[in-house]
Amino acid sequence: MTLDPNLTVHAWSMATAAAVSASCGLVGGFLVVRRMSLLGDAISHAVLPGIAVAVLAGGSLGGPFVFAGAVAAALATVWLTQALHAGVGLAEDAGAGVVFTSLFALGVVIVTLAASRVDLDPECVLYGILELSAFDRVPVAGVLVPRALVTAVVVLALVSGLLASTWRWQMFTAFDPAAARAVGVPVTAVTTSLLAATAVAAVAGFEAVGAVLVVAMLVVPAATAELLVQRMHHVLFVAVGVAVLAACAGWIAAWYWNASAAGMIAVVLGCCYAVAVVVAPGDGILARGLSRLQFSWRVACEDRLAQIWRSCEAEDSPAVPLPDAGGLLERLAGMWLERSGRVNRRDGLVTLSEVGRREAEMVVRSHRLWETWLGRHADLPADHLHPPAEWLEHHLGAAMRERIEAELPHGESDPHGRTIPPESNS
Amino acid sequence: MTPWLWFSIRPVIASASGTSFGLTYNTLVVVTGVAAVGFAAGVVGSLALLRRRPLVGDAAAHATLAGVALAFLATGRRDLPTLLVGAFVSAVAALATLVFIRRVTRTRDDAATAIVIGVSFGIGLALISGITARGLPGGGGLEQFLLGHTAALTVRDAAVLAVVSLLAVVVVAVGLKEAVVLSFDAEFAAATGWPVGLLDLALVGIVAVMVVVGLPAAGAVLVTAMVVIPPVAARQWTDRVGRMLPLAGLIGLAAAVAGVAASAARPGLSTGPLVVLSAAAICAVSFLIAPQRGWIARRWSAAVLENQWSRGRVLEVCLQLSGPDGRDGVDPTAVMLRAAGDSWAGRRTASRAWQSLARDGLILPGGSGLKPRRGDAGNRWQLSNAGMAMAWERRRRIEAWNHVLDEAVESGRDWLTLDLPDPVDVLGSAVAPATSVRRAPLPVATPRVPESQD
Repeated sequence: MTLDPNLTVHAWSMATAAAVSASCGLVGGFLVVRRMSLLGDAISHAVLPGIAVAVLAGGSLGGPFVFAGAVAAALATVWLTQALHAGVGLAEDAGAGVVFTSLFALGVVIVTLAASRVDLDPECVLYGILELSAFDRVPVAGVLVPRALVTAVVVLALVSGLLASTWRWQMFTAFDPAAARAVGVPVTAVTTSLLAATAVAAVAGFEAVGAVLVVAMLVVPAATAELLVQRMHHVLFVAVGVAVLAACAGWIAAWYWNASAAGMIAVVLGCCYAVAVVVAPGDGILARGLSRLQFSWRVACEDRLAQIWRSCEAEDSPAVPLPDAGGLLERLAGMWLERSGRVNRRDGLVTLSEVGRREAEMVVRSHRLWETWLGRHADLPADHLHPPAEWLEHHLGAAMRERIEAELPHGESDPHGRTIPPESNS
Repeated sequence: MTPWLWFSIRPVIASASGTSFGLTYNTLVVVTGVAAVGFAAGVVGSLALLRRRPLVGDAAAHATLAGVALAFLATGRRDLPTLLVGAFVSAVAALATLVFIRRVTRTRDDAATAIVIGVSFGIGLALISGITARGLPGGGGLEQFLLGHTAALTVRDAAVLAVVSLLAVVVVAVGLKEAVVLSFDAEFAAATGWPVGLLDLALVGIVAVMVVVGLPAAGAVLVTAMVVIPPVAARQWTDRVGRMLPLAGLIGLAAAVAGVAASAARPGLSTGPLVVLSAAAICAVSFLIAPQRGWIARRWSAAVLENQWSRGRVLEVCLQLSGPDGRDGVDPTAVMLRAAGDSWAGRRTASRAWQSLARDGLILPGGSGLKPRRGDAGNRWQLSNAGMAMAWERRRRIEAWNHVLDEAVESGRDWLTLDLPDPVDVLGSAVAPATSVRRAPLPVATPRVPESQD
C-alpha cells in the first residue's frame, strides 16, 4: 500500500470513508433497534455474489448494475432463509448461517476466477480499496472528485431520503410491528425497503472497507449511540457522528501505523463503543459506579450520625465518647461530618450540632417507625425487625414517614420500647 | 500404509486434484488431516445445532485472526500450532467480551455478537496488514488465514490438526448423553442437578476449538460454515442423534476433501470457499431429496393428503346429491362445482379426485339402479356400494370427531393442550389439510348439540 503524502489524498479518502460510514450508521440504527443486526451481517456477506456477477456482466463498481445486483442478492438471502424455514423447517438462524456463508463463498470463488478479467480481486473483497479510491477520479462541476466519494454521497442521499420519507412507517414498524400491521402500515414493504437500503449501504461500504467489516460500520455506531441517548432521532444523529469520527480517526491511524484503513476504522469504532460502555449516562460503568459510591457515602454518613445519636440517647447526655467507626468509608464519613459542622469534638467527647441532631433524628425516626410498622403487620419476631429497618432507613422520605405514623396509634414506641423522635419541621 | 491401498487411492485423488502427478505422501497426510477436521467439525457442530445455537462459533471465528497475528508478533515464528494457540486465546477472549457486553450493557444480544464479529475481525485485519506492510520475516503468509489455504500445511501441521480433531470427537462421544439431554430438555437437565451452565460452557469451548482447528482449511471468514452446514444437511436425513452425528461428520469430511482437491486443481483459489461450496452443494441436495424432511418428500406427502381429502369431499357431495334413498344419480359437473369451491386449483384437485374414484370403481356411470328422471339422463353417475359405504364411514368419522370436540368444549377443557385423541386416529383418511378446510368449508358435518340434562 503506497500513500501519497499529498494532503488532498488524505482529505478525499477521509471524506469517502466518512460518507460511507454515515450511510451505514443511518441504516444500522434501524437494524439495531429492530434486532436485525445479524441480518445486517448476513446481507453484508451475501451481497458479494451479486456484486461479482454484476461486475462480470459489465457493470463497474459503484454503477447502478452493481447496486441492483447487490439488492437482489440481499433480498435473495432473506427470501432463501425464509423459504428454507417454510419449505424444510430449518430454524432461521441456522438457515441464515447456511445461506450467507454459501453465498459469500460463491462470491469469493467468482471473484477469484474472474480476477484477471475485471477490476475486482479477493484483496478488495476483504480489505476494501479505500487506499486507492482517491486516485480514481471523475470530474464533478470542474473538480476532480474520487468516483467512490460520488457514489458514497449518492448512497447517503438515497438512504437518508428513504428513511426521511418513510420515517413514520419505519418508526411504527420498528417499535410495534403488530400494531403497525393492524392499522394498515405495509410492514413487509417497509422491512423490504430497510433491507434494500442495507444492501445499498453495504455495497458502498464493501468498496471502502471490504465485505466483512461492513457489519462493524452498520452495527457499532448505532449500538454506541443507543448507549448514549434515548430518542430514535438522537440515536441516528449520534450514530452518524460516531461513524464519521471513526472513519476519519481510523484513516489517520491507518496512515500513521501503515496498516489497513478498514481494520483501523473497525478498531476505532470498537474503541468508541468501549468508551460509550464506560461513560454512558445512567447505566454506563462509570455512572453506575458513581451512583453506587454516592449511595454508600450517604449511607455511611447517615449511619455514623445515627450511631452517635443513639449513643447520646443511651448515655442520656449530649456529649459522648466517639463510638468506634467500622470501615474506612465510615471513618472518612466521620471526618466529613466534623468538617461540615454536624459533629463537634471537644476533650475526646463528641456532640451533635443542631443540623446534625435533626438529620440523625430523621434516620432513627425512619428506622424505628419501620420496625414498629413491621412488628404490627408482618408478624416477625422482634429480633428480625432490625435488619430490614437498617436497610430501609436510608430510603424512607418525610411523606412516607408521615403515612406510617398516621397508621400507628398516637404516642407508640418502637418494639424495643424506645421513643420515636418527632418529625422535624424545617 | 499397505502398497495396494496406496495404489488404489492414488489415481482417485490424482484425478480429483486434476493434476497428473498430484499425489505425494505429504498431500495424502494433509488431506487426511483436513478430512479429520471436517469430520470433527460436523460432529461438534451437530451438538451446537441441536442446542439451537448454530452461530455460536461465528464471533469466535472472526476473532481468531487477531490471535494469529498476535501469536506471530509475540513469538516471531510462523509455526502452525503456535498460531492456533494464539487463535484459541483470542477466540476465548472474544466470547468473554460477548458475555461481558451482555451482562454489563443494555446492548441486545444480536448487536453484541455483530460488534464482536466486526471489531475483532478489524483488529485482526489491522494487525495482519501492519505486519505485511512492515515486511516482518515470515509474516508474508498470514493472510492465508483469512480464507484458508491448505497448500502450505506440513505433515506435522496436519498431524496436529488430526489429533486435536480426534480429541474433540472423543470428548463429544464421552459427553454425548449430557449433550443430548441438554439439547432436548435443558429444564429437565437443570432439575436433575446437572450443571447446565458448565455444560453449555463446555459446548461453546469445544466449538471454539473446532473453529480454531478449522482455520487452516476454511479461513476465519468462512470457518463457521464448517460447523453449521454439515449438521444442517445431516439433520435432513434422520431424526436420530446417533445417526445424525456421524452423518454430519461424514458430510463435513467429504466437503473438506472435495474443497482441498478442488483448490489443489486451481492454485489461485483459497480452500475455504471451496470447502463451503462443497458442503452447501451436499446441503442443497439434502434439502431437495431427503426422505420425510426433504422438499420433494414434503410436497409429495402434502399432495397425497390433499388427494385423500378431496376424494372424501367428492364422495360426500355425491352422497348429498344422490337423494334420500341414494338412487337419484349425480351430475359430474354439479359435483365438481360443489366440491371444488371457488378456486381453479380446487377444481383441478376435485377433478383429479373424481377420476381416481372412478378408476377405483367407487363411482360408476349411470346404470340400472337409478330412478328415472327427465332431462339429463345421459350423464348421470352413482356411488357404487363400496363408494356409498366409504362416504357414510367418512361422514360418521367426522361427526365423531366433532362430537369429541364438543365434549371437550362442554367440559371446559382446553382441547389444544389436553389429552384429546390424535385427529388422525379418529378421522383416518378423512383428515383435512388446513388449506383445504379454509378453501371449502364442510357443509354437512354440523356438530351435534348434545341434549341438555335438565
